[in-house]
Amino acid sequence: MYSHHPLFRWLIGYEAKRKRAFAKAPESPLKRYLAHPLPSPDMPLDQIKILSVDFETTGLNAVNDKLLSVGCVEISEQQIALNTCYHKIINTPDDLVPENVIIHQITDDQKARGALLKEVLDDLLNALAGKVMLVHFARIERQFFHQACLEVYGIAAPIAMIDTLAIAKRKLDKRDVAYDPSELRLSNLRHAHQLPQYSAHNALNDAIATAELLLAQLSKMPNNIKLKDILL
Amino acid sequence: MEHELTEINTFLHTIPPFDQLTIEIIAQLTKAITINYLRKESHLPPKGCDEKTLYIIRKGALAYSSLQGELLGKYGEGDICSVFIFPDQIDEIKVHAEEDTLLYCLPFLAFSNITANFNNVIRFFENSAEERLNTQMTQLNEDAILSSSLMDTSVSQFCHGPVATIESYCTIQQAAIKMTELSFSCLVVIEADKPVGIITDKDIRRRCVAKGLSFNQPVSDIMTKDMLTLNENDRAYDALMLMTGKRIHHLPVTQNGKLTAMVTITDLMNNEGQNAINITNMIRRASNLDELKVISALLPKLQVKMAKLGTTADHIGKSISAITAALTIRLIEMAEEKYGPAPAPWAWLAAGSQARQEQFAHSDQDNAIIYSDDVITEDKPWFKHVATFVSDGLATCGFIYCPGDIMATNTQWCQPQSTWHQYFDQWVTKPRPQALLNSSVFFDLVTIYGDNSLIDQVREKLLQKTKGNSLFLAHLSRNALMLKPPLGFFRDFVLISNGKNKASLDLKHNGIAPIVDLARIYALAEGIAATNTIERLKLASGTPSLTKASAANLIDAYEFLGILRMNHQATKIQAGEAPDNYLAPKNISKLEREHLKDAFKVIKTMQDNRQTTL
Repeated sequence: MYSHHPLFRWLIGYEAKRKRAFAKAPESPLKRYLAHPLPSPDMPLDQIKILSVDFETTGLNAVNDKLLSVGCVEISEQQIALNTCYHKIINTPDDLVPENVIIHQITDDQKARGALLKEVLDDLLNALAGKVMLVHFARIERQFFHQACLEVYGIAAPIAMIDTLAIAKRKLDKRDVAYDPSELRLSNLRHAHQLPQYSAHNALNDAIATAELLLAQLSKMPNNIKLKDILL
Repeated sequence: MEHELTEINTFLHTIPPFDQLTIEIIAQLTKAITINYLRKESHLPPKGCDEKTLYIIRKGALAYSSLQGELLGKYGEGDICSVFIFPDQIDEIKVHAEEDTLLYCLPFLAFSNITANFNNVIRFFENSAEERLNTQMTQLNEDAILSSSLMDTSVSQFCHGPVATIESYCTIQQAAIKMTELSFSCLVVIEADKPVGIITDKDIRRRCVAKGLSFNQPVSDIMTKDMLTLNENDRAYDALMLMTGKRIHHLPVTQNGKLTAMVTITDLMNNEGQNAINITNMIRRASNLDELKVISALLPKLQVKMAKLGTTADHIGKSISAITAALTIRLIEMAEEKYGPAPAPWAWLAAGSQARQEQFAHSDQDNAIIYSDDVITEDKPWFKHVATFVSDGLATCGFIYCPGDIMATNTQWCQPQSTWHQYFDQWVTKPRPQALLNSSVFFDLVTIYGDNSLIDQVREKLLQKTKGNSLFLAHLSRNALMLKPPLGFFRDFVLISNGKNKASLDLKHNGIAPIVDLARIYALAEGIAATNTIERLKLASGTPSLTKASAANLIDAYEFLGILRMNHQATKIQAGEAPDNYLAPKNISKLEREHLKDAFKVIKTMQDNRQTTL
């Protein structure tokens, strides 16, 4: 496959996109994010700084639905540093749908006291600079992040991503045995790795839960793996 | 942010000593944590953790061992590995992950800064096992006072009048003479019928004799002025708190402003023993075996009541032993009515826990008879009859026959003094391990009834032979060291030295008995006649066999184990089950586990010392 060729990656990879976006972007927190080189895919994983991120949203459609809250925590040298924990609720204009409140446990009241989307996105970009974003099930975070950047700064920002769901899926696919897609849910994967069950689901707890899952997954892999081995 | 990291905060908050912190402080600790994932077999510290760090196991298991590979303990979920905050331990101990482990790493510096105002919490880690145990025992003793029945009784129940007084112009010597005559340890000093101060034994010692003050000085020179007084209607509990808080032993009690009585701290503390005294009196008045049987059925209830009142195990042991002694004496009196008076001087002896005054309700009988060498063959059946009558009587009252047949009914243990001399002589001068194991119970022997001098003479000779007798002590020690305390706990199991798990903790054989055995060895090595374990340890304290600090540590460990046993048995008895010594780890709180581990450590240290002196 050409896509795995180093030159090909160089041309269309996130680093190339970042440089192009940096050139275009007006002065903003987004530009400052773009000023930091993203980690090279050839770097050993244990030297890479990772930001584990989770979004709570009002739905699955990035265009119509809204970002409700953002939680993140840093992993460096394979350690999750709780002093980097970040969690903010966003004051979106829409009213919340009762069914969703049960899942994300964010009430209208809390939302009303929340921060502006721009403020939260600035923080997120600041934390993400020079790091790889870790999520569980990349589609949601990728699309909502993309949409939010367009909305706030008018231009999209390339990100380097790793996805604990994708890592688990790749492993299950390799086994060539049918499996239930629910096995790929964050809580089920954590259970399979004998990690403790977290009962409260908010963006920060899920970001930590995802980070712990990644550490558990990495412990089953060779010591010398590189970013490109698990990069999305 | 609300709910932030609540889950981790809650987890930390259940783990001693963090349970003593406020949730705000816990939240700060959480922020200082880094989470690590250790794969199985990897060693601590994890990469990147170079500074002193507390490791809290969130999921998984760690094992720590000596450099030689001897397993020293394990950590499971919710345990804290504090090995790495002691630079001197790091070089002697290896820690590795026994399973894949999710670890919360809390830098000790950050921890100390955040908890700077919580001395107990920092001390929990920095103190040695011995120091922690001592803190715990001090706390328990205070709690014992708190939970006592004194809460709903007034001082008037305990005080006694009239008050002994002395005029302030009287000399210190006159005060001392008056105190001696009255056998009081304190006098209230009055001036024109009004109390102006108080003088105690201690004042005479500290402020007169020790200072070289003439005893012809007036008592007013050494009395305590600003004397506190109690009102008759004050709660006994408050009185006790006041007295313990201010370290006062005597307080005058007033009624309508007039001095009427005195109360001493001992009056208040002894209150809990009242029931035991009542039972003893009932036994003395009992006229037949059926009555004794009814009375002895009260014993388990008494044990429960005393445990609930928060008395020490030592106190219960002494009360129960005293009651058993009274019961035995009453039975002997009944036997004498039936078979006539003894043909010659003799004594009924108790061995084992009763002799040590450490008996709990309805334990086995361990007894023997010693009689004068003058007894002629025709008179010997009398002893057999009495022995049978008494031990049957004890059995009827709930004290089962000794499974090892250490009983006065066994001819081997119903012998003239000369034979007892021979027995001990053989055990001591030609010790054989098995024989010594079987007879160790006889090294704790007291007279319950009859002529004390018979066994006292035997003991005196015995102690002369045991004191400093290294061969005998080595044999005794070897036996004693066979019972080892466990390493600690792992999840809901007891972890024993070979790394295996046991479902329950045998408090008696793995905790209490090893200390009893050690105390016996110290006593025999130093020629100490006492049989009670705590007394033996106190008397051996500061001798070549036992340092003062070690004695104090062993006493703390012994008392702590005793309290656990007492509470466990109380729960069992209340549930209508037979009291035993087996504790299921799931019924032992996290904090109690920590203290048990400390107690085990104290025992192990002392056993190891004994081992090296062999």
